[in-house]
Amino acid sequence: MTAGAPSYGELLDAVRGVRWPAMRRVAGATLGAHPSRLRGNSSEFSEFRPYRQGDDPRRVDWRLLARSDRAYVRLTTDLAMLRTAILVDASASMAFPLPDMEKWQRACEVAVALAAVAHAEGDPIGLAIAGATPVRIASRARRSVIAEMIRALAITTPAGSGELAPLMTSSRASRIAVVTDLLGDADAVLAASRIKVAAGGEVVVLHILSPDELDPPDVAQLAVDPEQPTLRRSLDGTSRAEYQRAFAAWRNDMRSAFRGAGVRYLHAESSESAARIVRRVVESSGVRDA
Amino acid sequence: MSFLAPWALVVGALAAASLVLLHLVARQRPAAYLLPTARFIPDRRTLVSRVARRPRDLLLLLVRVLLILSAAAAFARPVLTPHRVPSARILLIDRSSSVADPSEAVARARAVLNDAVPTTVASFDTTVTVLGVGAAALDSLSRGPSPRMDAVGSISAALVAVRRIAAVEGARADSVALVLVSPVSDAELDSAVDSVRAQWPGVIALQRVGLRADAGRVWPLERELSRDDVLAPALDGVPVARGAHSVRVTRGAFSANDSVFARAGGAVVRWDAIGSRRPVAAAVAMGDDVVVASLARDSLAARGRTLARWADGSPAAVEESLGEGCLREIAIGVPIAGDLPLRPAFQSIVRGLFAPCAAARQIIGVAADSASIARLIGIGGMASGSALTKRAERPAPIAAWLFALAIAGALLELLVRARRREAEDA
Repeated sequence: MTAGAPSYGELLDAVRGVRWPAMRRVAGATLGAHPSRLRGNSSEFSEFRPYRQGDDPRRVDWRLLARSDRAYVRLTTDLAMLRTAILVDASASMAFPLPDMEKWQRACEVAVALAAVAHAEGDPIGLAIAGATPVRIASRARRSVIAEMIRALAITTPAGSGELAPLMTSSRASRIAVVTDLLGDADAVLAASRIKVAAGGEVVVLHILSPDELDPPDVAQLAVDPEQPTLRRSLDGTSRAEYQRAFAAWRNDMRSAFRGAGVRYLHAESSESAARIVRRVVESSGVRDA
Repeated sequence: MSFLAPWALVVGALAAASLVLLHLVARQRPAAYLLPTARFIPDRRTLVSRVARRPRDLLLLLVRVLLILSAAAAFARPVLTPHRVPSARILLIDRSSSVADPSEAVARARAVLNDAVPTTVASFDTTVTVLGVGAAALDSLSRGPSPRMDAVGSISAALVAVRRIAAVEGARADSVALVLVSPVSDAELDSAVDSVRAQWPGVIALQRVGLRADAGRVWPLERELSRDDVLAPALDGVPVARGAHSVRVTRGAFSANDSVFARAGGAVVRWDAIGSRRPVAAAVAMGDDVVVASLARDSLAARGRTLARWADGSPAAVEESLGEGCLREIAIGVPIAGDLPLRPAFQSIVRGLFAPCAAARQIIGVAADSASIARLIGIGGMASGSALTKRAERPAPIAAWLFALAIAGALLELLVRARRREAEDA
């Protein structure tokens, strides 16, 4: 697809046809694929409703009025597009495990696949990479945006302590998908998510972890935090069990906190295929109040 | 090489062994592993202790052991000394006119060289010549010119030269033996011998060779003694010949004729007490010869050179030089009766009293007395090499180099340790 960039052809083929519907009605008026909060302008019939004072008289079904001598208003379902942004955590903690950086590779694949799925539905897609130097690609619906995202991800190496919250706050997208390990500014991300959800937006947090983080290998006797090299901990038999307990408790806390804030929270392991992760993201989506 | 403080080497070896043990049981920091979720690990010590079969950080261990051993070797104060043999020998061969047969002296010296002890050979008469080492030096001595017959040996000069040779030999050997091949005539023993001899810190092995035959000769008598004279048995066989170098026996005061005779080179012996009839028990000594018998003692003026003494130290015979000859007065009263003239010791004393005058004796010499020879030989064993060199042993410059090596090792240890820490942190 792009010279020097990894090939995403197989992955894009795997997610072709997958739909990523919005979880709520979309406030936008631009024609798209997601149910809109607006009714009446579309040609797709939905139902009749008795006329109430204040309804637009142009929406009265005159034929039904003639037959039944009752005034009914014709309701239609409007569809709108959903501006979507993908936020990818590119902090140093994502470059794990070395040397192949499986967690980062999987995050990139998931981000590209989600963007491709949203782009297939005509939604404008944007990308923000929270690394040592933040990278932003504005939401666009044109065809080349996916290739542009792939190039941006390909030239990015996870480093430093990227902050996701400022990118979330500044994003104008109604739907934000955050691919992160939550080892950075998780609390700030949670606060920004609350604001976004309260504003009628949709936030998906994909918490991606490596199996080696869940169960570190035996060679990990002296663990060093890549974002804080001075943080060194000895990992022996006793501390390993304590580590696993503490890590699991932290994950539960994160899940509870994000879900409590109305965020769609999913946990994924980097050993999982990107296509499968994408399907898990989209499978429970869809407007529930339709 | 030797060490002035060898205990420092022991301490250094123990420290190095302890260091190896510490490297076996040292607390080791495992290799760092980048784990993004390290914050969830409880904060405990990051070092683990375990006993390894092989020491870790061999390069660091090597540098540290090198540091300790070099410092210990420097503190041990190494001294560079040449290779020392257990013993060496200085062979001093008399080539003066006192030696009756020079080839005998060489043969005696060659017999001494039969063992494998390294030997420096020197010969002496009035001066000393260092001939070389071993039997080859003796060969050169045999092939060389004959000894000068007018050269009077000087043992004191020889001993001074020996002391100089010994200063070199003492640095090479733990012990140095001195062998003197000489007849040791009294002419060779001057007044400096005793003080020079005291400078040699050991015994002198004396190989005495024959004195020249004429050294103990008796000059011919001017006229033959009567057969009734008591001295006749003692002077039996002494030729009678008139000449400048002969002995005149007189029984009274010296006359003018006697003075003329002495000035011409003869020896006038005044022996008045012949046939004394009031002898008492007395002892008289001349050189190594001592006679205890009934003798008559006459008074004698203490003038000139004393040839013989009574047991109480008073002179029994004196000699006074006159011209080329001498006048002698003998105060030993010999009884007419008795076998005293037949005793070998008495005959030897008589022949000594009839010997040539002192001026002539300086050339031909007579055997030194046993007391002088005993003092010359001395007591004890071989001289120690350290006593001969008299050189204080100082730490060799290698100690400074060892200290420099230790300092370099310390700096290298810092560098290696820093590199190791960087590797651990990476």
